[in-house]
Amino acid sequence: MILAITFSEDAIIGLVVAAIQFGTLLYLAALGETITEKAGVLNLGVEGMMAIGAVTGYIGGAASGSPWMGLLVGAICGAIISLVHALAAVGLGADQVVSGLALTILGLGLADFIGSDYTGDPRRAHFGEVDLPVLTDIPWVGETIFAATPVSYLAVALGVATWWVLSRTSLGLGIRAAGESASTADAAGHSVAAIRVGAIAAGGALAGMSGAYLTNTLLGTSWNEGVTAGRGWIAVALVIFGAWRPGRVALGAVLFGLTLALQTRLGFFDINVSGTLVSMTPYLMTVIVLVVISYRARNQPSPAPAGLGLAYRREER
Amino acid sequence: MKRLVLARRETPTRGGQPLAFLAGLVFALLLGAILLSIAGDPVIDVYKRMFERSLGSKDVISATLNRATPLALAGLAVSIAATMGLWNIGAEGQIMFGATAATFGGRVFPDLPGPILLVAMLLGAVVGGALWAAGPGLARAELGVSEIITTLMLNEVAIRLVVYLQQGPWKDPEGFSFPQIEARPDQAGLGNIWERVHLGVLIAFAVIVVFAWFSSRSVWGYELRIAGSSPKTAAYAGISMRRKVLGVMLLSGGVAGFAGGIELSGTATRLNENLSNGFGFAGIIVAALALMRPSGVALVAVAFGAVQVGGLSIQSIGVSSAVASILQALILFGAIGAGVLSNYRIQMVDRKVVA
Repeated sequence: MILAITFSEDAIIGLVVAAIQFGTLLYLAALGETITEKAGVLNLGVEGMMAIGAVTGYIGGAASGSPWMGLLVGAICGAIISLVHALAAVGLGADQVVSGLALTILGLGLADFIGSDYTGDPRRAHFGEVDLPVLTDIPWVGETIFAATPVSYLAVALGVATWWVLSRTSLGLGIRAAGESASTADAAGHSVAAIRVGAIAAGGALAGMSGAYLTNTLLGTSWNEGVTAGRGWIAVALVIFGAWRPGRVALGAVLFGLTLALQTRLGFFDINVSGTLVSMTPYLMTVIVLVVISYRARNQPSPAPAGLGLAYRREER
Repeated sequence: MKRLVLARRETPTRGGQPLAFLAGLVFALLLGAILLSIAGDPVIDVYKRMFERSLGSKDVISATLNRATPLALAGLAVSIAATMGLWNIGAEGQIMFGATAATFGGRVFPDLPGPILLVAMLLGAVVGGALWAAGPGLARAELGVSEIITTLMLNEVAIRLVVYLQQGPWKDPEGFSFPQIEARPDQAGLGNIWERVHLGVLIAFAVIVVFAWFSSRSVWGYELRIAGSSPKTAAYAGISMRRKVLGVMLLSGGVAGFAGGIELSGTATRLNENLSNGFGFAGIIVAALALMRPSGVALVAVAFGAVQVGGLSIQSIGVSSAVASILQALILFGAIGAGVLSNYRIQMVDRKVVA
């Protein structure tokens, strides 16, 4: 009996640790997409940018032996590939849905192409836990929440910074104006194109960083084809789930991270449900949240940026 | 101070889109060649092999046409939704659920005679695809929920549903430790009409012709285009937008589901999580390149089918088949660039004039 309880305690600790790792992964990409969408650009290329970050971040980490180098390389390459969407959707006014999906196909293809020599390569760098004085010694909390990798703290810091920039600075005002009404932003002297390109690149960097975290962490995955496994789509979903607000997106990321962590751990809790069925929940919850938002929107404004997905051509103002 | 701007032409350049597609193809092959040579792969050999193994003989042309079929139907599904300004990003999921429904039919009536079972399974696939699109269609029609995200999310759900069926309820007891769903009944296969080209290719072609005629000649198609281009005009004309939106989404989902049924009875022998293999997503690119016109969809689908079949063939000379995905995406981006040039011209203007 006592044995059973200690076992489940370990299982719960393992679950929370994994949920935070997955949550970090999802949050980085979702935070990036939040910035992009706040500026009025829908980028459905997250899955592709994440794959690019995963493979380049893996190579950077394994070659240098430093997971931080992996994270940096992934972020830079994610930002570079996102510029394809910037060029098509902002520069040429192409449809954002088509351009974003093509970016996903391009990113997944390029990642597989670059990574074909590295599949199953055992060399890899990975982040360890941060040893925090006092905090790590607190029972339970120390073993779970404060057992996170430094990237989780980085993600929280980036989330706070994003919130601050978006809501408290003139740059943030410009970003939000570009997303709500591009012509107003233009009239107020902001360069809508520059803001949108910057927001896309920021989204690409964070998606790339998220991918690099995936291949440089303890989740047990080095690079292999399909390593992103649809998590980029969860990041797109999270932006809606979190109503385009960095704080709420973070809560959603932990919740969705928990479902990802649960998938492979149901056996530890004697839960007789297929992990595959559990893996559907983030997508289904997002659909439900969207319906609820729209149902409420009959009485209150929708939280979505009003100009989301609309191309802006100055001469057609 | 001078600067360059894009100025819209009064009338788009004639024949612009086929030219844009060709420009996209050249652009993709050039960039692809650069990429291959950076990776140290033999560019000429790779392209030569891709061409020979997709269009070089009767046998491989069959494979290309078979591959083009689900792409064309997925592209048609996307273009049907687009006539009303809707985005069906969920063809991937609708293909999977259509094939799931067809598989269900085969499991319930394994002993029906071939033609009857085949028709039942294909109808099941249409109904399945339509059902998978019904939720997003209803949400859009009644509450204005963006169909882009709902259809996208349901893709992931459909793929996981197939994995679940494969691991659990539909796991073949004779499949040993390898989880797989039992093969569909043999008699429900689509026979070959020429070389290895299966009957589904002809059926899909007929479906596309019917839709091309329907959308340009029928009252329903006319109403759809009005509703899509100007909802206000449609409202004055007494056209119910809610019913049109739902109807178009059901039809679009049904066509995508049909693609799943054709794939199951044509090329595949059993349902698995790779049955669709990105056809739904590629279909969106196909439809975009075809400017949402059914006739164009068929042509672009054949080109994409060739790229995909060619891509699979280069694995045997040690080059990643991912080259095919890269080329398809680059064709689109190249065509976007060329398309803009055919609708715009580059002008040098004074900064003051524009600002």
